Amino acid sequence: MVTESPDVTSYDPELLDHVGSLRSDAALMEEYARRLRATAATLDGCPAGPEWSRPVLERQADACGTAAEQLRAAAEALLAHTRAGD
Amino acid sequence: MRADGSAPGRPAPDGQDARELLRRCARDVVDVAEGIRAVSERTSTALFAPALAVSARRHPRTGLAARWALLRALTNRQGLGGSAITAPKGMGHVIGAAGEVLGRESLAALVAVTSLRLRIAAVLVDHPEFERDPGMRRLTEAVTADKDLAAVRSLRALFRDQGAQRALSGLAPLMAELLAIRALLDEDPKNDETGWALATGRELSADPLHGISAAHLAGLDKGEGAAEAVDLTDQERQAIAPEGSFLGFLRNIEMLSTDGRILLQDVRGPDSVVRYVLQAPGMAPGRPRNDSPQDFVGAWRNLFMTDSPYTRSILLALEDYGIPRGAEVALIGHSEGGIAVMNLAQDEEFCRAYRVTHVIAVGSPVDNKVPADPRTWVATITNQHDIVPVLDGRGAGSAFDPHPHWYEVDYIGPTHEFPLCHMLREYIEHLRTVVPEARERVDEALAPYRGPVVRTQAYQLKDRANPPEGYPFLTLPTTSVPTTAGPVDVPVRYYDSSAAHLCFPVDADAARSLLPDVTWMTPSRLGRRAMAVLSLYEHRCTTLGPYTEIALSVLVDDLWRPRPYDVALDVLRRADLRRTGRYVLCLAVTSEEARVAAAEIWAQPALRVTAEADLMGRQIGVRSPDLGVTVDGRLGRGVRCPEADWILYGRRGGSTIRTLVRAHGRLRLHTGAGIRLRLDTAAAGPLAGQVRRLGLEGARPRFVLACPQFMQHRSAGAVLPR
Repeated sequence: MVTESPDVTSYDPELLDHVGSLRSDAALMEEYARRLRATAATLDGCPAGPEWSRPVLERQADACGTAAEQLRAAAEALLAHTRAGD
Repeated sequence: MRADGSAPGRPAPDGQDARELLRRCARDVVDVAEGIRAVSERTSTALFAPALAVSARRHPRTGLAARWALLRALTNRQGLGGSAITAPKGMGHVIGAAGEVLGRESLAALVAVTSLRLRIAAVLVDHPEFERDPGMRRLTEAVTADKDLAAVRSLRALFRDQGAQRALSGLAPLMAELLAIRALLDEDPKNDETGWALATGRELSADPLHGISAAHLAGLDKGEGAAEAVDLTDQERQAIAPEGSFLGFLRNIEMLSTDGRILLQDVRGPDSVVRYVLQAPGMAPGRPRNDSPQDFVGAWRNLFMTDSPYTRSILLALEDYGIPRGAEVALIGHSEGGIAVMNLAQDEEFCRAYRVTHVIAVGSPVDNKVPADPRTWVATITNQHDIVPVLDGRGAGSAFDPHPHWYEVDYIGPTHEFPLCHMLREYIEHLRTVVPEARERVDEALAPYRGPVVRTQAYQLKDRANPPEGYPFLTLPTTSVPTTAGPVDVPVRYYDSSAAHLCFPVDADAARSLLPDVTWMTPSRLGRRAMAVLSLYEHRCTTLGPYTEIALSVLVDDLWRPRPYDVALDVLRRADLRRTGRYVLCLAVTSEEARVAAAEIWAQPALRVTAEADLMGRQIGVRSPDLGVTVDGRLGRGVRCPEADWILYGRRGGSTIRTLVRAHGRLRLHTGAGIRLRLDTAAAGPLAGQVRRLGLEGARPRFVLACPQFMQHRSAGAVLPR
């Protein structure tokens, strides 16, 4: 019986795809942060806008920004690992 | 300057603009939430990619760093959040679920909750009374703060303050939002999909309360359906509208009531063409499951599935009625009837056979459904305080309009109490007085059907697979006994009750002094003490209607041959062979029907009082201001014990009346140390005076026999020559 060992280099394109996806997701998260801040500003100008909405949305926008940074860092770490496998 | 005269960016000039703005913002925010959720899913996929797992074994240093970076991105509280890891199975699923169980919400869920809170704010523009209601405010705060216990307490407080149905109808405009928030924030990951469906306006496939699959619930409803042509009574025939009109059709439906009948009519239109109108009533609120398809289980199936016994029965009725193929048909339904006719309209086969021109649903949750024929004109009429139309998950605050081409009227009616606001009678009245323009608009659309009615036929629909309610325990031959409140069927059947029997050892002489003045009735003794039982009942569904019952009784010996320890031996006997029993000293009930039945059928000294009971949980409470009696406390640890069948004795003239009571439920024997009986009155009134004479004021029972849910039947009283 023959057992084939997996060819590490054959996985590289898949990992590279993940790197690309993480980078674009980081950009998306920045975009989401911007949209949440815009919504917060819109509600701020509306008398019916709840008081809690601005701080909550700002906080969630900040979290989106943090997530974007961490996704970018994860993309770099994954890219470094992919290169180490070459 | 915009066309409506307001400048962009300026404060919204009126409530409608504010509401629209809040809903638009809610839509934007939930879009962002869905995007974040997708990012979390992709990042989870990268973390658990087999390629990364294999290569990390070859290059552990960089592999570990990459996986750590991904894990950090997914779990950081300042970023994607605690339970952002999403994987259908394996370690990822376990970690994600663990995050939720530990209460670490993902950023996506929190943003979705923000969207739902904005939807609630939009509803509050129309319902400012919610903000003023302290109970509702507590509940909303509790739900958004993810405090299960607080939410449950607030809900209970609401029910106590205003009655459960009023509280529920008060919640109706917010129900979808509150359920979604609970589903997203609770510790059970299984509810997430339901929460996301409610938040994003996707079609629901599960119970919005517990995420129970609709298919599972619908499995209970397996009837093949049946329809039988039946005659209307003379009175009903006279009440049928002679001309086709929207309100006329609705009045016909109301006349049919909810006894499993539908109506089919031929109407000759202004163009002399004969068209056909199907009129389908809904489910009776609070009615138990029965053998017609218009029951609650049937309604549930109708709501989520396209096929149900109701729909199948209607098809059989249409076949029997003989509507020619290709004929024009209008389908009109209320409540569950609206869902059933919508199910027919979305059946392609049905739409090939007939041209469904109109579907009109009143008080029905039909947002999840779409007619097969795009030409079908659809109208939905809903009162924002009616809880039934919210069952499809689209409440008043919904930011989504899944059917922009439908004629939808979602108005705020003056009736807030459920089920009153769900009654067709109320809808008819509101269409006359509150939203007459809606009636006019529907009548305009129904113009081809506005002519003389030339044929009318009612059909009785049946759902043959459903056993009768309470089967087999409560499937009994009954006889009608005349009383001053009308005939009462005996045995009286109790479909859904809770009970707690508080057992107190009492002084035998004191017990004897309360019994009838006859020599042959003596209290049973356990040692040197007699036994008094304070029975508390919460009857939610009975053939006498719902009521609360408080009964004080004393265990008595065999009326002919009293022997020591009879009562202990009788416990081992079948109930119908027992000779000992409980003599009822005082009975207090909350309905007139129950009082009359107790006094005239069972010969018990019954009086009508006000009382509240909560006997469903370990924490029990019963309070009757009229009697000045309060029982509350927490049941101690309990063990299962056999069913508590009883013999009750009452007195009528010179005879003793023996009533056999049979129960079926999971009875438990609890220690009574946590329960206390208190008297809030110094008067020697009924019950309070007897409690005092037995020395039970402030007493704790020796033990409690409790059953949070059981069925029971009470036979007609047998007259004993004693």
